Amino acid sequence: MNMTPPVLSARDLRRAYLVAGAPVEAVRGLTLDVHPGEWVAVVGPSGCGKSTLLNLLGAIDRPTSGQLLIRGRDVAAMDDKEATRFRLTGIGFVFQRFYLMPTLSAAENVELPMAEAKMPRVEREARAKELLTYVGLGARTDHRPFQLSGGEQQRVAVARALANRPALLLADEPTGELDARTGEEMIALFDRLNRDGTTIVTVTHDEELAQAARRVIHMRDGVIVDDQVRRPLESPTGAT
Amino acid sequence: MRTLLRWWCTLTGAVILTAPVLRVQGQGMRTLAIDERLATASGLSLGDSVRLAPMASAPSGQWARIGAITRRSADPSEIARSEYRVRLHLDQLQSLTGVGDRIGRFAVRTQLSAGASPDATAVGPDSVSAAINAMAFGFRAYPAAEVAIETSATFRVVNRFHRAIGIITIVASAIFLLCITLLKVDERRREVGALRLLGLSRATVVRSVMLEASLIALLGSALGAGFGAAASAIVNWYYQGVYATPLKFALVTPEIVAIAVTLSLLLGIVSGYLAAQRLVRTAPLELVGR
Amino acid sequence: MITRLALASLTRRRGRTALTIAGVAVATAMLLDMVMLGSGMRESFRGFIEQQGFQLRLTPRGTMPFDSEATVGGAQALVARIAEDPDVVAVAPVLGAKLFTPRADSVVPAFLLGIDPAVQGDYVLAEGRDIAASDEMVVNGAWLAATGVRLGDTIRVASGYDAQLRRFSGERSVRVVGRGRFLMLAGGETVAALPIATVQGMGGEDLRDRLSVVLVATRPGAEVEVVGRRIEASDARVSALSTEAALRFVDERLSYFRQLAFILASVSLITGFLLVTTLVTVSVNERIGEIAVMRAIGVARERIVFQVMLEGLVLSGIGAVLGLGLGIVTAKWLNGILSAFPGLPAAFDFFLFEPSAAVRSLGLIILCGIGAGLWPAWRATTLSIAQTLREEAVA
Repeated sequence: MNMTPPVLSARDLRRAYLVAGAPVEAVRGLTLDVHPGEWVAVVGPSGCGKSTLLNLLGAIDRPTSGQLLIRGRDVAAMDDKEATRFRLTGIGFVFQRFYLMPTLSAAENVELPMAEAKMPRVEREARAKELLTYVGLGARTDHRPFQLSGGEQQRVAVARALANRPALLLADEPTGELDARTGEEMIALFDRLNRDGTTIVTVTHDEELAQAARRVIHMRDGVIVDDQVRRPLESPTGAT
Repeated sequence: MRTLLRWWCTLTGAVILTAPVLRVQGQGMRTLAIDERLATASGLSLGDSVRLAPMASAPSGQWARIGAITRRSADPSEIARSEYRVRLHLDQLQSLTGVGDRIGRFAVRTQLSAGASPDATAVGPDSVSAAINAMAFGFRAYPAAEVAIETSATFRVVNRFHRAIGIITIVASAIFLLCITLLKVDERRREVGALRLLGLSRATVVRSVMLEASLIALLGSALGAGFGAAASAIVNWYYQGVYATPLKFALVTPEIVAIAVTLSLLLGIVSGYLAAQRLVRTAPLELVGR
Repeated sequence: MITRLALASLTRRRGRTALTIAGVAVATAMLLDMVMLGSGMRESFRGFIEQQGFQLRLTPRGTMPFDSEATVGGAQALVARIAEDPDVVAVAPVLGAKLFTPRADSVVPAFLLGIDPAVQGDYVLAEGRDIAASDEMVVNGAWLAATGVRLGDTIRVASGYDAQLRRFSGERSVRVVGRGRFLMLAGGETVAALPIATVQGMGGEDLRDRLSVVLVATRPGAEVEVVGRRIEASDARVSALSTEAALRFVDERLSYFRQLAFILASVSLITGFLLVTTLVTVSVNERIGEIAVMRAIGVARERIVFQVMLEGLVLSGIGAVLGLGLGIVTAKWLNGILSAFPGLPAAFDFFLFEPSAAVRSLGLIILCGIGAGLWPAWRATTLSIAQTLREEAVA
């Protein structure tokens, strides 16, 4: 049992949508704690509420009811301004389709969240370089997204997500658009990140990615049906 | 100096009417005709007597009775003039102004008016004026058509100005239409790319884009013609009121509509073609974003 | 970084951006031209009137300057009396007449101005010298061209000519000493100026001690209208017309152009606004996913609105600057067309460039450009991030 306070704590979390006028609950009374240094993979069939859960955890969607604390802050109670600031500094997001800004270079894409957080230029340029080197793209900082392969683009997206040293890295099907070999490289990167101290929650269909995670949560019809810790936490060697 | 001043000032003419409200039913008094705008402005009506003087400061004058009220004709040269016209019997004006047996101009009616079919024995205005000028002595004859051109100089200038504005408008609409067509085409890059991948030919894409642009242009020009007709009705109503004239200021004729529609259709086709070319020159895979 | 993104999104579709800028430039040019037209005629006319330095014109009662051949007698006494008014600093009597110059095979008619060379406000000397003696004459270029006379020539002229009898009256010999630019004269009109006493003498009994117009300059700070009314009250034979009253007449006569200018300026503004709005809306719609991602990674709503408005600003700003140049060129072209307007001085400008008016209209276009981005940007940032990303993924 982990005795450190959880970085993420959800209690009876619910999210309902109106579909054709009728309310449909995508997440139904979910309770979950994630501790620092954990790597949680959320798996389950399509439409089970995984992505909705990830959106709630990332403060880009709001729960209909329940409580969600991240680093002790009540995300549901934040207004748009606070939630935006929170996403900028507290959360890192990796999307299935990378979603890099096509007009910016790899380094500029990584710098974007830091620039928004008003980090001085020299400092953010150095950090972008450092992060891109960390994900293995130190030599491709000036490339535009269309000049990079899918796997490379996703690495840039990971570097971008880590830019402001978030408490939590959320990834939505990070290997969903990649071929098997690049997918494996991505899993290795996540593993390295986690070993270096990053707390990660991923939503995935990818069996290999789920196997690599320390803890696997199975969801069905908006609730957790299984929660297994596969590998216990080690003491972190360092943080990115 | 006089030209400019004359151009903008209110002409009072050579004759001043005073004591206008004196209604004397004088018998045997000479008559005069006044402009209906003057009648309205000064409250004069048929039968009223007025005193005529060549100058406001003139101590005496002659009396005349208003025998007719005239409305000015739809003459372009009269439009911008706000002075009132009064018509007197020639001899009365001559005696009033003290110019003696003199006239400013006179009109001659010929056997053949301009535009009628020529006849071997008939004489037209051009040949008569030429004949008069050949033996003229101190005056000159002008055919009516020439005078009309001379007096409508203002309107010819305004017409050229309108044409220039029209050219600028055409340039602006060409840019606008091309821009809109490009945007509409860009919006469907993926769609067109997918269709091209399914085997749709370049020609079909070009044709459909051109058809769409032409339809937009047609629809736009139809709306524009309606808008123009409404606007010209308002313009005519307004300016006919301002200048108190039956003259029509704006006309939407079938020819004008035809020109406008043809022009915009042409612009539509050209802009459709240009936009479509951009689309078909791009590889279908690039269009679908791969 | 946001500025960089805004500029990058404009260069992403260069053809489209160029077209929009061209459209804004044309709209700006039109707006600028119409603003120049709206105020130009009035200000140009004011310039003409004020260049002469006289604020009041006195004419025979009930007439306008030179619209008839009406004159007022007792000219010397009248001028002396007006000059006594404490608010009057200069009085320039003018007598209008006709001048006939016999040439080898024709007679050149001209408009003759009798002026006081010491205080005249009708012409500016362009060549030669001003009138210094009673038989010296200043003429305009059109007169020189029509007669073939050169500066320095002494010629015979007349104030009357009976075409039927080919007989001159009021003949005398004069020396042409200078060429003047007559301020209120149409391009091709022939005109000459002689001392007023000379013209009165040539006209014989008809013009003895008479004048057509008196130009009056008032003391700075004097109430021109009040002075005018005072003079009218003191002499029942004259009407006083102030510069402001003359401008009111001009306004009335040129109302068509002002109204046209107003309508076209409005249309230009709307066109420019629509063009930028359309482009920015489409461009925002294309990037709705990108915007959602930016929101998801923590870019504030107002920063995205700022980015989109910046795009509008750049589009309309560049368009406006180009439009400024284009507007000046087209104004010259349109002015060339309108300068053929019958009876207007050749130097009369329909289009007058006023920096403040230009800045105002450019500002208006730029404001429109910024405003054009406001709605699409705000709409894009208020969409649900999660839903937009999902829809983008499906697309």
